[in-house]
Amino acid sequence: MKRGANGSTGSRVAASKGISFTTSPVLAVRLPSWRSRVVLFVLFVAFAVLGVRALWLQGVSNEFLQKQGKSRYERTIELPATRGKIMDRNGQVLALSMPVKAVWAIPEDVLKSPPQKLRALAGLLDMSDAELRKKLDSDRTFVYLKRQVEMDVIEKIAKLDIEGIDTRKEYKRFYPQGEVMTHMVGFTNVEDAGQESMELAQQKTLVGTTGSRRVIKDRLGHIVEDIGLGKEPHDGKNLTLSVDSKIQYIAFTQLKAAVEKFKAKAGGAVVLDVHTGEVLALANYPSYNPNDRSKLTGAQLRNRVMTDTFEPGSTLKPFTVALAMDSGRVTPNTRIDTGSGRFTIADRTISDTKGHGVISVAQVIEMSSNIGTSKIALSMPSQEMWEMFTKVGFGQAPKFGFPGAVAGRVRPYKSWRPIEQATMSYGNGISVSLIQLARAYMMFARDGDTIPLSFQRVDELPPAQQVIKPKTAQAMREMLESVVSGEHGTAKQAQVAGYRVGGKTGTAYKVENGKYAMPRKYIGSFVGMAPMSSPRFIIAVMIDEPTTLAHFGGQVAAPTFAALAANALRAMNIPPDSAVTEIVVPADAEAEAM
Amino acid sequence: MSTKINLVLLALLVACGLALVNSQYQARHLFIELERLQQRARQLDIDWAQLQLDQSTLGKNARIEQIARTDLDMAPLTPERTQYLTQGEK
Repeated sequence: MKRGANGSTGSRVAASKGISFTTSPVLAVRLPSWRSRVVLFVLFVAFAVLGVRALWLQGVSNEFLQKQGKSRYERTIELPATRGKIMDRNGQVLALSMPVKAVWAIPEDVLKSPPQKLRALAGLLDMSDAELRKKLDSDRTFVYLKRQVEMDVIEKIAKLDIEGIDTRKEYKRFYPQGEVMTHMVGFTNVEDAGQESMELAQQKTLVGTTGSRRVIKDRLGHIVEDIGLGKEPHDGKNLTLSVDSKIQYIAFTQLKAAVEKFKAKAGGAVVLDVHTGEVLALANYPSYNPNDRSKLTGAQLRNRVMTDTFEPGSTLKPFTVALAMDSGRVTPNTRIDTGSGRFTIADRTISDTKGHGVISVAQVIEMSSNIGTSKIALSMPSQEMWEMFTKVGFGQAPKFGFPGAVAGRVRPYKSWRPIEQATMSYGNGISVSLIQLARAYMMFARDGDTIPLSFQRVDELPPAQQVIKPKTAQAMREMLESVVSGEHGTAKQAQVAGYRVGGKTGTAYKVENGKYAMPRKYIGSFVGMAPMSSPRFIIAVMIDEPTTLAHFGGQVAAPTFAALAANALRAMNIPPDSAVTEIVVPADAEAEAM
Repeated sequence: MSTKINLVLLALLVACGLALVNSQYQARHLFIELERLQQRARQLDIDWAQLQLDQSTLGKNARIEQIARTDLDMAPLTPERTQYLTQGEK
């Protein structure tokens, strides 16, 4: 111990006698002084590089990192837009979208779950176990199992807790009025795009624009802040149609009854509002249920009122006669010799049902004389007749804003031969659609002017276009009334108790492959208006290929018109304008020509 | 003098900081409330649409006619069976 202590003392002494550590010459390294400066410089440069890099990332090129940072806590949320509702003129809903969900699966994961769960899933999705397995037997990682599944089913599926099953939000369109209204409203496909009728025509306004929003989400997925870079979603606009549910229902049921009674192939009916040009009803039969289109056929889908053209037959006579009266060539009392019921032009013969002899122009309409109308037509230049047809819309591309509406066909007047001019005057050799026909009758129901048709509710009346003189329209209305109530009228079955009605029957042979079909196939039609004292509705009915009981327009279409008019007038609270009497229709109502 | 100013500024700074914390807290609260109410508005919209759908389905003319005819034994009105009254007439 002692020695050790001495030793330590000794060394301290020695150190104190020597020089300090820092200045010890032994330790002094002989290095060139530039080396330290190089190190200093290198270190400085390294710091400078870091500084510049930091400046670069912070100040100049900061976008990338900021974006990366944001994507850690910011989320974009899709905001769906609902398709607009479609309503009738009284606000009753005709088409409406409800949120539903599409069920999709990752097949690999789903197939791992126990079979009884899969069976339960198949049951909920309304398919057999085999069907479900067939869908899952796929290499893809995303398979739709079923689309547009309603919410209560989704909840049950969620309770099954099968791995690999997920849902996606979408919308399903419901049509509460079903087959009654479908030819007016149309339907959408699974992607919410309009496919038919107004759903298709108004696709642009009905469909909304989806929006999005940027939000900050917390750890638990709750939205804590809106960053306000979003786009507002805009729901589709609601659409108010011109159709009246009540009248539409009446039209559909009456039409259906008529088609079934005469075992016809099909039928169509349309009701127009005389004052506003609105289409109050547009019915077709056969029809379909737009909510379940799995068994939809082309015949059901067909909107005959709009897209089928036919030779109108006698319903066209009033236009020829109105033109002759308007130009002062004839008056309702002008006598015309229709002879024995046969009239030959060049090599073709026109015939009436029987010889009417010398009759007045009014009676030509009342008895529906082909010869009378032909003689009147032949007294006029073909150009004038063509202009009349064109003005009322025949052969013209319709501007209804309704998909599939056809123009019909009116040949240019320069190519008309006299026999053709004669047959055209009573509606042969010309083709029109039922809606065109109904619209053309508007000028008789109004005082000689027409207004455009509308499938949407009209709040402001469109400007009218004068076609014939008011006096001519008035005279024609009297003639049309005599067709129904006159002694020799061809449409006695169109009478309505309590109301004065008028109209014109039409029967035409169907044209197939450019020729008249053999054996003869008929289209019976009736276009009329009610009540006559101040027309409110134009009603056009067409029965396609009636096979039993009868085939003349006065027998198949006129009674349908009467039933439709009676119910529609009552439904709209229009007071009766004639004495209420029991109507007795003679058992063998007069047949009409063609 | 300058110490005093510093102290005042410090107090102000702390106060501002606390106010910021408080307003942020309030903003979050209000935002959550807003979200909740918007969600509710959406749900009410859906409910309303469902009710409109139900109304239209139940108010279908076909259904009304069927119930009127079969359950209630009603028949359509015809002009022959109607007495029309006109105001001002004897």
